[in-house]
Amino acid sequence: MIPKNLEKQLNILDFSLSSLWRRKLKNLGLMLVFALVIFLLGSFQMLTGALTNSAEAVLVNTPDITIQKISAGRQEAIPLGYIEKLHPIYGIRAIIPRVWGYYFDESNLANFTILALESDAMPYASNLNLTLVHGHFPKRTEQGNAVIGRSVQDILGLDGRRVFSLFRPDLSLKSFNVIGLFSQQTDLLTNDLIVMNLDDARDLFAMPPSVATDLCVYVANPTEIETIAKKIAGVLPDTRVLTKKQIQKTYQVVFSWRSGFASICLLTALVAFVILAWDKASGLSPEEKREIGILKILGWETGDILAVRFWESTLVSSLAFIIGCTAAYIHVAFFDATLLKPVMVGWSVIHPPFRLLPSVTLADLLLIFTFSVLPYLGATIIPAWRCSTVPPDSVIR
Amino acid sequence: MRPSHKLFIFILLLMLVDGVLYLHAKRLDNDLKSDRVLQKIAVAGLGLTDLCIATEARYTRHPAVSDPMAPFMDHPGAIEHFPTGSFWNAPENTGQR
Repeated sequence: MIPKNLEKQLNILDFSLSSLWRRKLKNLGLMLVFALVIFLLGSFQMLTGALTNSAEAVLVNTPDITIQKISAGRQEAIPLGYIEKLHPIYGIRAIIPRVWGYYFDESNLANFTILALESDAMPYASNLNLTLVHGHFPKRTEQGNAVIGRSVQDILGLDGRRVFSLFRPDLSLKSFNVIGLFSQQTDLLTNDLIVMNLDDARDLFAMPPSVATDLCVYVANPTEIETIAKKIAGVLPDTRVLTKKQIQKTYQVVFSWRSGFASICLLTALVAFVILAWDKASGLSPEEKREIGILKILGWETGDILAVRFWESTLVSSLAFIIGCTAAYIHVAFFDATLLKPVMVGWSVIHPPFRLLPSVTLADLLLIFTFSVLPYLGATIIPAWRCSTVPPDSVIR
Repeated sequence: MRPSHKLFIFILLLMLVDGVLYLHAKRLDNDLKSDRVLQKIAVAGLGLTDLCIATEARYTRHPAVSDPMAPFMDHPGAIEHFPTGSFWNAPENTGQR
């Protein structure tokens, strides 16, 4: 036995559905546009959330402190003599110089990241070869060998070959032998990497042996990182000292509602809703007004008419919300966020595959719900209430 | 069949789809855990600081360690012009030298 009140609501729901179905083209179109806006917002939120979560999960092992030399507001090579200046600071476990930079491949218009360091001195050095499908990292004595990321292999067309050449700044060629390939599982980090030993990188970039690109500092006690970073900044005033915490924080803020594209998406969605709300609030159509008048003559109360409008709006907006969010998940999880990816990678020639778990949090869903469903409910119920309080004979006349 | 019954069936169908997607998310999370073990080793062993997402500009390839003025370094008064620059927010540590 269904309670009387529930039965009444079910009847009103039936009436609302029939009413929606009578104007199905208009309502389905509205729902589709609505779902599209929610899909766009949801996709953006799920993708950026997934990237932020991935960064948070994998960047836990970044160097404790990174030191870069700054001159005239720009980063430049740091002299290895600076390592000596840091030795008196108590608590530093290791200082490892790195040479890294970008190599622009003019024939393919691709930017590769070249990285060189003494990997044997780094944490997890003994396990580092696990990140490769095959091969090993070049040792200090192994000249002319390199480990490459999967996109580098594809772009340079190295499927059947093991040797490739890069140009030095004076346009002379330097050849490398591929001795290892990064695994697909590390694509999110190593897709565009070419790892070689320090001497090769200095030769390629024409850097003198007395400098490096930056210094990685490892600290014995992690709680002292901030203190030691301050001491380093004091000893080396011409440097920028980045701590692990700052690096990890970057990805928590780099994709946010303040970032440009997100603002555009949000603004577009909001403008769409403002137009919709304006259209709805400016009044019901004469046909809709007459329908309300007839219902009132038949004995319907204002509350019942409002309930019909409420059900109609709730159905359209809630279904659009569910469909939009579901489509957003499918877009990010199964289609690598195809619609957002071109904007995200810009003019990049290297397109790393995004194997990400879409981030679906209650806070994000509530945010999208608040921006989409609630304004629509307000915009449709208020004019219905205004109309339903008018005497019916004046409406149907 | 009442229209409301058709609606309930449609909502059930949507819930079923979302349920399957939830199971997919659980499975993907498990798969990604093994990836993350290797990714953590790569980060530690190579001292990596950034995700490889956009490779067009140094400040979007390595936002965590990039020179804060890199987007505007072409000439005095230069504006930032890479498409990804409009998508990425400025990192928090740009306030520092």
